[in-house]
Amino acid sequence: MRLNFAELERFYRGLVTKARGRGITCAITSGMACVEFGVAETTKDCDLLCTPESSKKLLDLLSDASLHGQLPSYRGHLTAPLDERWLRGGWTSHFVWNARGAEAYLDVFGVAPRSSAPWERELEGFYACRHTVAEMKRTNRERDWPYATALGAQMIEAGDARGWLHIFDMDLLLALTRVARPPASLSRRRPVLGLAVSGDSRLRSVLHAEVQFWHELDRVRLGIYQRAVRLYMRAVTRARLPPEVGLVVQHEARVRCAEKHLPWSPLVDYGVMRLIEDARTAVAELVNPTALAWLPDVREHFNVAAE
Amino acid sequence: MKTVGYRRKSWPPAVRRKLRRAVYDFHVRTFGEELARVNFQPLAKRRQYVGEMVDHALRKGVKFERPALGVTP
Repeated sequence: MRLNFAELERFYRGLVTKARGRGITCAITSGMACVEFGVAETTKDCDLLCTPESSKKLLDLLSDASLHGQLPSYRGHLTAPLDERWLRGGWTSHFVWNARGAEAYLDVFGVAPRSSAPWERELEGFYACRHTVAEMKRTNRERDWPYATALGAQMIEAGDARGWLHIFDMDLLLALTRVARPPASLSRRRPVLGLAVSGDSRLRSVLHAEVQFWHELDRVRLGIYQRAVRLYMRAVTRARLPPEVGLVVQHEARVRCAEKHLPWSPLVDYGVMRLIEDARTAVAELVNPTALAWLPDVREHFNVAAE
Repeated sequence: MKTVGYRRKSWPPAVRRKLRRAVYDFHVRTFGEELARVNFQPLAKRRQYVGEMVDHALRKGVKFERPALGVTP
């Protein structure tokens, strides 16, 4: 029997309820959060934020979490172990329940990519807050950006001025600034807001540069992790665990491979300032150079743990 | 209006209407009329619509799963 969307959603929310019952701080984010918040997105995967220190408890929970009689497995040879050390460094752990006709996919993050504040400080029910979800949507995928803007607009309507940080559609930005004003403190964090308020003709090119800058930041970040995972991937491939072994055995094998071959925090090893400089260099070749002076300071968005 | 940190209590009704109009226009322009209408419906109807859309796509063989890269965009 095929599992429908409503059943899948119940399953994921059930996992969050059980996890929180065991003292695990976690929240659903990304596409499923967007559906909840009123920005329809077709998704059936669940992205879950979990504090790194809760990773052991979450692994225990998942190892018993049956879906239509199936227990989950790690998915793919690139998947980092669900372990505090790697979760804290920005890796993602991917899981699948591979029941015939009832597949479910779960991706677990410890750090919300690009989040400027600890995500666990602000939750909305089962979900990460709109501010976190919108920051996570500043990816190198064009299709994610309207969701960030839509969430930002909801925040502004609800009286949360941080929504101004997420409006990337020029027409909407101009329409909103005709009705309301972003606080000066936010215009300092995001200089393009000042151009919108003053109706400056450079707005279009600066907004374009800003989006391209985030694209490049994500592209460089992903490249750093993809280079760092190669030796680990080979080790996991060589380990050749039979598919029927349980999650705990899979986990122990992955931890052994990771301890030898997977750096905890490739971004810290590479250097956040170097990442930002790489992205600025790349974006300088794509946009009007005068727009570079208006790009935001993004350092607060790359706070991954160094240890 | 009083503000607490980045939060304010509420917008005056006239401002609220204008904001809502601008946001709705953005949804129509970006997601199309049908999804814009869905996005402004109550949660239960929204969930039902997305569920039906995903279930239909699955029946037609659409694959939703993303590659497991160990790092996520």
